[in-house]
Order: sequence, then structure tokens, then C-alpha cells
Amino acid sequence: MKDRVLIANRGEIALRIIDACHQLGLQVVVIYTPGDEQSLHVKRARQEGLPCYRVSSYRDANDVLAVADETKCTAIHPGYGFFAEDFRFARRVVKRSNPLIFIGPRWEVIRDLGHKLNVKRLAYDLGIPVIPGTISPVYSELEAEAKAEELFYWQEEQKIERPRLLFKAAAGGGGMGIEEVYDLDQVRSVFRRIRAYAKRQFGDEGVVIEICLQDYHHLEVQLLGNQYNELVHFGTRNCTIQSIGHQKRIEVAPGFDPSYTHYPFDAEQVMQKIIQYSLKLATHVGYDNVGTWEWLVTRDGKAYLMEVNTRIQVENEVSACISRIKGKKTNLLVEQIRSAFGERLGYKQKDITFVGTSIEFRLIAEDTKQGFRPLSGVITRFEYPEFPWLKVSTHVPSDEPYRIPTEFDPNLALGIVWGKDTREAIERGKIFLNKVIIQGKTPQGKPLQTNIPFLKEKLGEILKF
Amino acid sequence: MEIFRYLTDLINRVHYLQDIKGQDWRGAQYLLEELLKLKERPYEIGEKKLEEILKGLASRLELLEERAAQELTPYEIVKITRNPQRFTLLDILDNVYDSYTELGGEGEINIDPAVVCARAMISRRVGNKVYMHQVIVIGHEKGHGEEYRTGGSAKPWGNEKALRYMRVAETEGIPIHFYVFTPGAYPIEDYPGAAQQIARNLYFMAKLKVPTVAFISEGGSGGAEAIALADMRLMASRGYYSVISPEGAAAIEGKVKEGQRPPRELIEFCARQLRITAEDNLRFGTIDRIVPEPPLGARRNDYQFFKRLRYEMIRATDEVVLRTKSLRAFRSYALRRQKEEASPPEEFDLYIRWDLSEIEIEKLLEIRSKKYRALSSWAVQEKKSSLKSYLEKTHDLGSRVYHDVRYGVLKQGQKMIQRFMEELSGEGAVILKQVTEPLKVAYDLLAVKRRPRVRIVSSEEQAIEEMGELYVSPLALEDRTVTCPNAEKYGCPDLWVPDLYGEFCGVCPNCGYHFPLEYEWYLRNIFDAGSVKEFNQDIASGNPLGFEGYEKRLAQARRRSGRDSGIITFQARIGGIALVAAMLIADFRQGTVGVAEGEKFIRACDRARVMKRPFLAFIHTTGGIRIHEGTLGVVQMPRCTMAVREYIDAGGLYLVVYDNNSYAGPVASFLGCSPYQFAIRSTRIGFAGPRVIRETTGEDIPPDYHSAENALRRGHIQGIWDRRELRKKLYQALLTMGGKNLYYR
Amino acid sequence: MAFDHQEINKLLQQLRANPYRYHVVTTPHTGYLRAFLVKEGDKVIGPRGKWLEKPGTKLFVLERERNEKIIRAPLEGEVYKIYQNLLGKFVEAYQPVVEIRHALTQEEIIAEILQRTLHIVRAPEKARYFLAPQLAQRLEKKGLGQVLIQPGEEMLIMSFMKRETPVIHQGKPMVVFRIFFSRQQMVEQGAPLLGLCLPEEVPYIEKLISRVKEEWPSQSA
Repeated sequence: MKDRVLIANRGEIALRIIDACHQLGLQVVVIYTPGDEQSLHVKRARQEGLPCYRVSSYRDANDVLAVADETKCTAIHPGYGFFAEDFRFARRVVKRSNPLIFIGPRWEVIRDLGHKLNVKRLAYDLGIPVIPGTISPVYSELEAEAKAEELFYWQEEQKIERPRLLFKAAAGGGGMGIEEVYDLDQVRSVFRRIRAYAKRQFGDEGVVIEICLQDYHHLEVQLLGNQYNELVHFGTRNCTIQSIGHQKRIEVAPGFDPSYTHYPFDAEQVMQKIIQYSLKLATHVGYDNVGTWEWLVTRDGKAYLMEVNTRIQVENEVSACISRIKGKKTNLLVEQIRSAFGERLGYKQKDITFVGTSIEFRLIAEDTKQGFRPLSGVITRFEYPEFPWLKVSTHVPSDEPYRIPTEFDPNLALGIVWGKDTREAIERGKIFLNKVIIQGKTPQGKPLQTNIPFLKEKLGEILKF
Repeated sequence: MEIFRYLTDLINRVHYLQDIKGQDWRGAQYLLEELLKLKERPYEIGEKKLEEILKGLASRLELLEERAAQELTPYEIVKITRNPQRFTLLDILDNVYDSYTELGGEGEINIDPAVVCARAMISRRVGNKVYMHQVIVIGHEKGHGEEYRTGGSAKPWGNEKALRYMRVAETEGIPIHFYVFTPGAYPIEDYPGAAQQIARNLYFMAKLKVPTVAFISEGGSGGAEAIALADMRLMASRGYYSVISPEGAAAIEGKVKEGQRPPRELIEFCARQLRITAEDNLRFGTIDRIVPEPPLGARRNDYQFFKRLRYEMIRATDEVVLRTKSLRAFRSYALRRQKEEASPPEEFDLYIRWDLSEIEIEKLLEIRSKKYRALSSWAVQEKKSSLKSYLEKTHDLGSRVYHDVRYGVLKQGQKMIQRFMEELSGEGAVILKQVTEPLKVAYDLLAVKRRPRVRIVSSEEQAIEEMGELYVSPLALEDRTVTCPNAEKYGCPDLWVPDLYGEFCGVCPNCGYHFPLEYEWYLRNIFDAGSVKEFNQDIASGNPLGFEGYEKRLAQARRRSGRDSGIITFQARIGGIALVAAMLIADFRQGTVGVAEGEKFIRACDRARVMKRPFLAFIHTTGGIRIHEGTLGVVQMPRCTMAVREYIDAGGLYLVVYDNNSYAGPVASFLGCSPYQFAIRSTRIGFAGPRVIRETTGEDIPPDYHSAENALRRGHIQGIWDRRELRKKLYQALLTMGGKNLYYR
Repeated sequence: MAFDHQEINKLLQQLRANPYRYHVVTTPHTGYLRAFLVKEGDKVIGPRGKWLEKPGTKLFVLERERNEKIIRAPLEGEVYKIYQNLLGKFVEAYQPVVEIRHALTQEEIIAEILQRTLHIVRAPEKARYFLAPQLAQRLEKKGLGQVLIQPGEEMLIMSFMKRETPVIHQGKPMVVFRIFFSRQQMVEQGAPLLGLCLPEEVPYIEKLISRVKEEWPSQSA
């Protein structure tokens, strides 16, 4: 192939995309910003003589496309973050006078599944369980009160202790503009507050009311599709161990392991159920690339679809580690690029087999004691062991000091271990965490803290309810 | 001593002549030098000799003056009007009125020294008896060179002061004499705002319940209108009344750069083309009568003129009053006065009281309304067969009855139908049958006393249904990017044109800057699909002044826009709510308003009143009054404001929405008078553009001076709307401001 | 704080010896460099007008995605160097294109001196900064040199790694005398953000400023 891919991303994902492209015999073009020059993806590009362009920002679509045109690229890989779930960018890439391949789902799919409420509505129509609550935004106080009453009543019926509701801005995402409600008397004031916030932030006053699930696991289903309506899954992942701001810190595949620990429900059945539901929605929208369906599973074995991520995820590697395509190791990035270039899968679901357990640790310079506050500074020493069962994915060089750029995601490295079963994987995880060394200084001259102690602490909780 | 005064007077006269005709005109300078020489050494010659010399010089001067008067050009008349030796309002108050008390400040200690309000007495002798009339005098004071008078340019608060004393006059039931001596309003936006205050004045004057007479010496466009919507408009024979100063017109016509003066020939040309003289204005019907002045204009010591002015003011007020009483009395009075025209007598032959009864006030307002509605109507060009216009007339009447029946009180409705039958009886009976068909049904309904069905607009109603296929601007069909004007300030990324003009509706998603969009976008995306029905598209802009070279540009505008005027009037629905709308569009001569635009606006306003529907004025852009139509354009200000006032008084909801740029006359009249004005973000609203402000006030203004934000801050508008939400906002506005009570006040 | 007049004299001397700064104009983003609109040695001016509403001299044309953008001079000076080799080429972001030799103005000299005399609040991290809304409001009302901030009061908000952290004033109550950063600007770690002084120092500093004004008459006046 004489195709050339522009990597519109940085850090470890850029490195992995370079690998995947090399594997497929594709040429690549790398971009970077001035603050990011030390990043390994730039160094590697320079070492290998890959075209490497300085842009004003990874978020500047105009720069990305200008470089793509200048270097005669035929495709753009958005990685994760930045343009990965930006349907407007995807639309522009394919609609412009010099159209390129967007390595990701069709823009219509990104748009339709990018909106949480829309996903909820679609799922609801297909009979897929979603978190009980409103399907369309609530605008009036009276309606909010009625809905809240209904949802409290429903929870009492389900004998849920301390029932709670969540009020969210309909147009929002993430942790902003979400409040919990314990009592009907709070509804009006909270509703007003969230509505005002939503109006300010997003220009739309709509509020969503949902029950607040308690004691749940966060599971994901990894899917892969293409334009020929071929659709397969790569099992489930468990991402329950998160920071305070609901940021993932440890991801495990598979999602549950009944041979390792006891669950108060039939774990196999639950995993099968969410896979089937995910496939149903994917088929319905004609999903045509890699994607992740995020689920919440409560202690009583009920599963609720939360959202869909229409991109490759940070934690794709754990799924890849435990799955074999016709017995061979899987690389989801390779599969993603092949799908985008219009190749057929060449295998069926039954050709995909699963073996062992894989765990990913996200190593981050942060103060886990103070609300996971991200830290900046210089990393002076970064060492990690080498094992056949370990893969470290990082953009931080180990041979020279590295200044942590402040404008990006704070991830420094991903440590991915594999074991033939969960017990072994956890043991190996412990070895890895004990041997990895990250040392550095904060701008104030204090030693740089990392989340390694936190990760170690959480090893015992992996996969356990 | 007498002789020296004579000498000084002669010198002044030469100066005056030079001011008008130019320094070296026909040896004027030589004459002046001669006089000045005499002034330097008057004693050497001796009184007798001096007198002789002076007499000789005086007769030469008289000859010159006569010559000058014969050859006066319109621009020279402007110079007469502006001359510091010309009479001002205070001279009039001293000489025309018997006594007066200034209101709202004196001299420099004043709300606005450019506007003088006074409670004054004017007397008339009938036989041996002297009768005193009380009036309120409101006018501009140019002063004789005092800087603080700003040359008679009223500040916004000066016009507000004028409005306050109009209210006083109304409370006390005494007539108002307006004196217009202004080159134009002082173009600043500070509260209450130049344009907005003029609009409020016009709105109030439209139904001011006392007789009003205006006298125009210098009638500078919108500034003049602020105190000129009167029952009778007189004009000084050496005054001018114009849409723009000849210099201003020349600067525009000649595309002269800021700070440079346009060539004299061009100014003369514009002064001629704009038809600014009293004779022209009388011919066009924009004034009612001319008050004669001496050939070279009246100066401040011209007592003969003041006598004439007193006569004319009393006469005009009498006529206004008499017209409300009986037509016969008025006719005989008017006839008698006409006979005296050449040399008015010292005294009047009868005394007329100037107070009015309730019924007479009603009549007064009706006559005023008719007067203004008829102004400039001769210049309306309608490409239409008489049959078609007849059909439309019956249709209008038909719909009036239909809507009266539908919304009106039962009894009133029956009265209406009777009147309708009467009005129609004089015209063709064949057509009548067809048109009355649906009407009978309505009538039958009334006969069995079934209640008319009332459409209840409830605020609980669901949000507007989703629109079908959206219209996408043709601007979007280009693969390129543009830079947001705020990029430097807010770091906005370059915008991809298909996104910008497609999904983003021309709005920068980062900073909210609104790029201009064509008017079709609004027509297609704001109103319910397929609901827009245009009417009166046949009324076309013309060239009523015969402005040289303008035909060509008009044809160009017609070709480029595919339209015949700068306004589109139509019926439409928003979320099912039917309304009537008028839209001034940028594509046709920058949405400037002339006779055709005014006429279409008035007809749309009347249609909204008849149909009892909300009326929306959507201003895509307006550059003001179209200068090529002169004062015929200017009078669209009072005309349209009159229509708006009558619509609102009848219970209508009048909404104004500004987009892009809205300046000058329209804002200062029929737009600014709306109680509900909104602007789309990034629009500019104001009276005069930055250049005019700099040139008149000498002060620079910040770049965001006219921004919607600042207009909101100053209270000129009620809110700023996002274009993406315009449809929703309009719908909400119709519900909240209209609501159930809208059609039933 | 006692002012060391000698040191200030030394500083002024230094500035007098080399009253220039070299400013490199770089490309704001990628694109094709279509044309240079100045020559080496040309005099250029920065944005002017009471509200800086009149833009500076046009320097070069950069085209990206069919959008031709004219890059203008940010300050007054003389074109010192032009990177002619870039003409017609595709350039990366932040590529130096034109160098301007700029003679320091009175105001800049004052800023320079103030940075050495005032209590400087420096950027703790490389980040974007905003004035705390309350302080911003007060400053807008009263103006610089008039607003006193108390210890423990929020001065600035640091926007950094997608989080906002307040910067709190410590020490004695002080007057905000100068602001050295602008909105949206990425401030390097250690760069000055605010200049503070004790209320009783205000007159001294004002005197100092008037001294500089005397010794360094502004050129535009």
C-alpha cells in the first residue's frame, strides 16, 4: 500500500499507531506541539526519519489537515482524546474537497452515539436496559418533581437502601454539573441550580434525572465492525478502580472471573448478556470500527448501558492481550486501521478465543491523597523491568529528564501484565509495581509523587465485588 | 453716531453677502475694503461727506444684493440658513411672542442648551381688544456662535426635555409651536440615545392631544423630525429641509475619505439634487406653507419678518383648530387668509379659542393621521392593474371583517359588517358576490349567537416542533476556512466554512461572534415551513426627486437582488402562531428606507392591525433613510411611526429584531419606538456611524460603541438573542409578550 | 522596602546603553508563506489608537486551508531580518519569519523597572492565569494602585491540567500595582504575574515612575 497515515495525536498512542502502521506497511506522518518536543513519539519519528511537523495545537483541525495535504496523506488516525470522538472533524475529513480516510467510525455514528441521552433513547427503544430515569431532557420544575417522585418510589419498590437520584445537565458530560439528591424536598433547588449551570455552560437548559446507582462495577465490551456489516466482540473489561473524578486507574480483562472470586450473581451470564446487548445496538446503528460499550453492573446482577465510546480506548491493550484471532495475538489498532481502509475481517467470532487475565496500570504523577491532584515537574529517573508477560507503553524517555507538559492528559505510562489466570496476573502486577521506578522533582523542588502506592493498595480489590 | 451704526450695518451686510456668495463675488471684497477704510478714519472726512459716500456704497450694495438674490443656488440657501446673523429661536421668542418663560434651563445652565422650551404668550388684536394665547414653544436654539449650543444639535436628553414639555402641553391643553433650527441631532448613544429618543418623541407626537404647528428654518433630517410631527408644517422661504447636509451627501456620493472636504461643485450638485428648498418641499407636499423672508433671508433684526411670522403662526394654529370644529368655518377662514397672502393686515378679524373638546381632539388626531398617511403617497409606484387592486381592496376588507368577527366583540362585529356592506356598495356587484360568500357564513354564525371560536395561546404549549429540512446558506458550499474577527481576543480557531454556515448557523462556536447571513436564511429557517406568503411585492422603489444618475444604481440594485424595494412584507407562522412581518434587507441599497419601503411597511402594519396579528419588524440591515429620495424619505419616519402607534393603540404586539447593522432614520422612528426591541448577537445599532460621530462631535469612539451589548447596557434594546435560538426566542416572545391578552386589549 | 537608588541608576544606565529588544515574529500556525509585505530596514508600527483598534503594519501572508491571513507587526520598530528562504514554502507553526528591532518605550522601561522594585507574584507553574473574579471586579472599579488585597485572599486562578487552582495572597496587605500577564496567555513558570507593593510605598513608586518619565521622554509625545 502506498497509503500514508497522519497521526493526529501524541504520546504512547502515537507510538502504538506508528507500530501498527509499520506492521501494515503504511507510511506515517507525525505532528507535535512545541511543548511536547521531548515526547518519545517525536524522538522516534526523528530517529526513523519519519516526516514530523510542528503544529500550533493537537486540537487545531486546520493545522492537522494542512499538514495532511502537504504530506499527501490519505488517512488520519485520531488516537483517543482530541479528535477521536469529534464528529465534525470526522465529517470534515471525508467531506472536504480532498477527502481523506478517517480512521474511526462513520461521522454519523460518532454523532448519534456521542450524545448520552441519544444513546439512552436508542437503547431504550431496542429493549436494552439503561439507568432508570428520564430519556429526554426535563425543562420544567413540575415535571422534574414528578419524575423524581416516580424514581424514588421505584427505588423503594426495589428495596434499595438510601435511594438517591442524580441530576445532570443534559448537554454535559463527565463530572461537571452533576448533583445527588437524597430527598424530594431538595428537588426544586437542585433542579434550578443544575438548570442554571446547564444554561450557562452549554446554552441548553435541559436536565436529566437518573437514579444514582450504588455499589456497582464498571464493565466494558470491546467491539469491532466494518463497512461490510461484519461485527465481532473482544470480550469484556472491568474498569471499576478509578480515581475520585471517575478517571480509570486499573483496567482488567476479562470483566469478571468467577474462578477467581465469588459473585452474588451468575457472572458468565451477565457478561454474555451485555455482549449481546452491545452487539444489538451496534448492529442497529451499523457500527463500522472499534468501539466500547460501557456498562454498570450492580450487586444484584443487573446491568445498565451507560455510554458508548466511538474510538480506540487507552485500555484496548488488555483486551488484545487475552484474545487470539485464529490463535494469533491480537492488535486492535491494526484491526481498526484495516477496517477503516475497507478490508474485510477475514475471521469470524468463533475464531476469536480468550486466554488468561490481563491488567493495565496507569502510572500518573498525582497526589492521590489530595483528590488526585495532577502534578507537574521533571522526571529525572524512569526505569521499568522487562518481562515477556509485561508490556510498558509510554512516551516518557528513560535516557533523559522529561518535563511533564501541563496541557495534556497526565498519563505517563501504561503497564500491562498478563497471567494465565487472575491470580497470576495480580502477582505479576505486584512485581511490576514494585520494580518500576519513577523519580522526579516538582517545580517547588519536592520529590515527585506518583500513584504507584495507590495502585498497589488496590491490587487486592481487582475484580472483586 | 447714527452714521456709524449705519456703517457697521453696511459692513455686516457685505460680510453676510460674502458668506453666502463667496469672498470675491462681484467686487464684494472691494466694497468691503472701501467700507473698512472709512471705518478706520471716520472723523477725517466729516459727517456730511461720509453720509454721501455711504449712500453711494449702499446703493451699490443693494444692487449687488438684488443680483445675489436672483442667482441664489440651493447651497447658498443652506449658507443663509446657517449664517450666524440669521434669526434664532430666542430672537423669535423675543419678537414674536409677548412674553415667555424658559423651561428646563436657561442659557448655558441647561439640560441641553441646544433645545429651548418655553411657556409663552402670543397676542392678537381684534378691533380694540387684545387676546392672549398661551402656547408652549419647543425648538432648537442655534445661538449666534456660542459653542455650548452645539449649533442647534439636540442631545438625546435635549429631545427628552422636549418630550417632557409636550406632555405638559397635553396636560394643560394648550397648543405647541415647534421651531426647527437643527443641522441634525447630536449623534451620541448615551442614554436615552439619539435614535431611541427621537423615536419616542415621534411616537408621542403621533397622538399628541393638542394642536401643533412646526416652523422649519433648518430641517436636518432625523434631528428635525424629533419635534416636527405637527398638524401644520411651515417653512421659512430661505430655510432648507433635507435628509442629509449637502456636504454629507457629497462625501458619500464622491466617496470622500474621512477628514477631506468634498469638492464645492459636488456639494452644489447634491444640494440641487436633494431638493432641499422650501419651494421644492412645498411641491412635494412635505410642508404645508412657506413663510416669506426677504430675498437674502431674514436676519436677527428683521422686525418685518417677525411680524409676518407671528401672523403665520397664529393663522396656522387657527386653521388647525378650526379644521377640528367645522369644515365650513375652516374653509371660509382659509379663503379669507389666502386673499391677504400678499400683504397680511395688522390685525385679525376674529378671535378663535385654541382649546379643544374631547370630540375635537379625536378629530384632530384623525386629521393628523390622514395627513401623514397621505404624505408622499403620490410617489408610490405600484405595478398593478386596477382590477387587481380592486380585488385586493375587497380582500382586505373581507379579511378585516373576518378577523373582527373572529376576535372582536360580537356587537362590534355586527357593526363592522354593516360598515363593510356600505363601503362596498358603490363598487362592482358581480365581484361582490364571490367575495361575500365566506362572509355570509360568518354572519350566519353570529345570527344564531354561537360564540366565535377563540384561539387560546397557552404558555403550557409544548416547545416548537422540529423543523423539517433546513435551508443551508449557499455561503457554506466552499471548502475553505475563515478567521473569526475575535480570534486574537478569544483565541478562536479558524472556522471551516461548511460547518460555519451550515451547522453553526454562521456563529463562531468559540466566542459566539455572528457572521452575517443572507436574508433568505431567516425567511427559510425562522418561520414555519411553507408559511411565508409575501404581499405588496409590486410596490417598487422609484426616483421621485429625479436625482441624476440614481436610476442606474436603482436598476443595478434591482438586478442584483431580484427585488423592487428594500423591504419584504409577508404573512408567516412561527410554531403555529400567525403573524405579519416586514423585513428590511441589505441586498437592496443597504435596506435604506424610501417611499416604497415606508408604504409597504405601513400597509403591513395595517394588515397586522386588521388581521389582529402580531407584527414583527425584522431588520436584516438598514442604512437609514435613502438619501436619493430626500425629504420624501425623511417623512417616512413620522408616517411609519404613526402607523405603528395606531397598531399598538389597537392592541397589537410589535416586535423589532435587529440583525447586522441598523442605523439612523428607521431606528430613530418606527423601529426605536417599539417597546420590545431585540438584537441578534454581533449586530450594531445606533444613530450615526463612527465617522459621522467623529466629524460632528470631534470625539473618537471605541470600536464597540454601537454593539448590541452596549445598546442593551444603555437600555435601547431589551435583549440579545443568539441566531441559533432565534426561532425559539421569537416563539417565546410571542407567547410571553403576547399571551392571551394580546388581541383583546 | 527601601529603594536602592544606586541600583536603579545602574539599571537605567544599562537600558540606555542598549535600548533595543529584538522581537521575532513567528507563524501562528502552519501554512504556505505566500508573500512578504515588508523589506528589511522598513519601519513598522504596532497596533495603535485609543483602543488599539488600528492594526499594525502588514508583514506577510500565510495561507492555510484556502484562508489567506495577513500577519501584522505586534510592535513598533524596524524590520531587522526576513527569512526570505521561506517564501512560497509550507511552514510549520511557530516558525520565525520576521525579526523586528524595537526601541524600548518609556512604558516598557517603567515595566522593566517596576519588575525589579515591586513585590512580584510569579507563576508557580506554566499555565494560563486569570484574575480572581472578585479582584478583577474591584480592579475594574477602582483601577490599578488603588486596590488592597488582604492575606488569605484569592488573587489569581491558575488553569492548569484541566483544573483550576486559586493562588492566594500571603504576607502583609498589599496594593495591586501592575498586572504583567494577559488573558489566555500561557505564562511560563516563574514569569511575573502581578506587581504588589505596600500601601505606604505607592507614593515612592509613583515618584520613581515620574522620574523615568522625565529622563526618558516618550517618543510619541
